[in-house]
Amino acid sequence: MGMIKKLSVWIGYLIVLLALPQFFDSILAISIFNQMAIAIVFSLSYNMLLGQGGMLSFGHAVYFGLGGFLAVHALILIEFETVYFSILFIPLIGGVIGLLAAIFIGSFSTRKAGTIFAMISLGIGELIAATSLIFTDFFGGEAGISGDRTFGPLFFGVDFAQDLEIYYLAAIWVFIATVFMYLFTQTPAGRMANAVRENPERAEFIGYSARRVRFISFCASGLFAGIAGGLFALNYEFITEENLNAITSGRVLLMAYIGGLGYFIGPIIGAVILTLMNSLLSNYSELWMLYLGIMFILTVMFLPRGFAGFIMMHQTAWLRGNLKQLALPYLISGIPAFLFSMTCVAMIEMMQTEEQSFSFFGMQLATDAALTWIVAITIAVAAFYATRRSLPQLRDAWESANAIPASEKTES
Amino acid sequence: MSILTLKDVRKNFGVSEIIRGVSLDIKEGEKHAIIGPNGAGKSTLFHLISGRYNVTAGTINFNGAEIQNKPPYEIARLGLARSFQVTNIFPRLNVFENVRCALLWSNGYGYSFWHLLGKQTELNEKTMHVLEQIGLKDKALFPSGELAYAQQRALELGIAIASGAELVMLDEPVAGMSHSEAENAVELIRRITEGKTLIMVEHDMSIVFDVADRISVLVYGEIIATDTPENIRANPKVQEAYLGEVVTSA
Ligand SMILES: Nc1ncnc2c1ncn2[C@@H]1O[C@H](COP(=O)(O)OP(=O)(O)OP(=O)(O)O)[C@@H](O)[C@H]1O
Ligand SMILES: [Mg+2]
Repeated sequence: MGMIKKLSVWIGYLIVLLALPQFFDSILAISIFNQMAIAIVFSLSYNMLLGQGGMLSFGHAVYFGLGGFLAVHALILIEFETVYFSILFIPLIGGVIGLLAAIFIGSFSTRKAGTIFAMISLGIGELIAATSLIFTDFFGGEAGISGDRTFGPLFFGVDFAQDLEIYYLAAIWVFIATVFMYLFTQTPAGRMANAVRENPERAEFIGYSARRVRFISFCASGLFAGIAGGLFALNYEFITEENLNAITSGRVLLMAYIGGLGYFIGPIIGAVILTLMNSLLSNYSELWMLYLGIMFILTVMFLPRGFAGFIMMHQTAWLRGNLKQLALPYLISGIPAFLFSMTCVAMIEMMQTEEQSFSFFGMQLATDAALTWIVAITIAVAAFYATRRSLPQLRDAWESANAIPASEKTES
Repeated sequence: MSILTLKDVRKNFGVSEIIRGVSLDIKEGEKHAIIGPNGAGKSTLFHLISGRYNVTAGTINFNGAEIQNKPPYEIARLGLARSFQVTNIFPRLNVFENVRCALLWSNGYGYSFWHLLGKQTELNEKTMHVLEQIGLKDKALFPSGELAYAQQRALELGIAIASGAELVMLDEPVAGMSHSEAENAVELIRRITEGKTLIMVEHDMSIVFDVADRISVLVYGEIIATDTPENIRANPKVQEAYLGEVVTSA
């Protein structure tokens, strides 16, 4: 890619980050954007391990959480005037703590990749989470600890009391962190991380200790996870044990995976999707975790390269100018597929609810009437059948859109 | 001057003795072939020298440093590069990245996370030069795992020779190649190892006799002879143990 093109992608990214609140300025939107900002940095840092370094971690929240805890403590210190500096730098404190924790833990956990690494990460995660509940002075027990971000020197008169102000601060940090994580992939250490992921043995015969290569990625990953934890501390002004335990570790794995491990932007996409689902869906349904789980399973089964991989699948068709050919077949398969999923959701919700009447997209459904169920099942079966029937057409359209034109066939 | 000296090197796997006291002296700049029947322990010997396996007993001296039982990366940094009998590349990296990775250490990049690879013009040119030599220039951006077999073998060779190591060890570099591909590869090996030391395991006797200055014959984990190609050909012990059929058929 040309220099100019690359630069314009980054400028575009910065503009989107900074302009978002102009278009969506509700309190809910800003709070979602703040969560996204945190999630983007966190899941990109996770992908340094799994996607780029081939290290499957079940305990990445440790670095996020420890960074976050220290960041809240820093806020408290600022509040009580033990130290005096701007809260702009709080994420950096999180980052340093994440880095230190990663240096310590990585010094033994990166010896091997694969199952051994995964098991150690799980064990460390449990250990730290359990320990944090014991040292209540520092971690605040179940309730966690809280601070106040409005103290310390003002930044051009801004005291960061508003979520919107925090958003702009977070957006800048997200941008900086993304740039540095991207640049890391372009360095010898970053590229050797890929090589070690692919074939740790051969890497050793070209002069690199696989363990040292993993260790460097691991430390970088801890640094950025800690920065994400610092952003969390700034945004919520409190932090609890949940932010360094297995729930958070699992969530970041889902984000990176659903977004697509093989692409730099995959985890960004995953962070956006999961944050949206988390904050929007959870308002509508208590079962949103179930839907999330189903989505994860479907992604693993049908989109092993995640959403980013799905988008990139269309590159060939796009380059050939054939993307339009796919629009109609996608609609023909997509509409019944969507109808099928929604009917299933409706039935699941009807089963779960204890009310006799239940509102679904403005429709009032009588949950105990046989007719409702018969109609729902009929729609589901019909929609499923229609989807199945339409798939061969979609496949044909896909093949013709990706087909090599006769003029290019001579090569290879 | 010898560059590599093995003294009574032994390797046991459990109770089976695979390398049974090998002593060998490789001179600087020589092209040395190791031949022997299947299962003789040729690859195992390579693994011992290059650090993949620890020795059970004995010493290996490379350029004045004891290298037995050192990890492969330390041995590689001393200037020993090798290829594998079974293709051993970075499959999901493209061809260019494969070769560039092999160049990084010898070009002094170490574990740097402050150099941007795209900006390292000299490194990238060297990489392209290696690709040109192994005939994969037009496949530079191709995922290496999807190359045809012969091309993967060429890449395997490219990774081994890229760093410009003083001592290059090739384990059956042309196995499985067609006749013309093998000819090209041998030509390439000769060109690239000019002025360097080469140790090569090879079954094809015409190639061995063509390339090697000296030949060692390994049978059942023991070297039964080390000599010039002419003398090896004439050696009755070698003929009996191994060469007889090959020489008559060739
Ligand atoms: N890791 C191991 N564990 C146990 N036995 C091994 C191991 N590696 C090799 N061997 C045995 O050592 C013997 C020598 O194997 P090696 O691969 O060195 O032979 P080779 O001379 O390279 O043969 P080929 O010409 O078929 O490549 C074989 O009998 C093999 O089964
Ligand atoms: Mg062998």
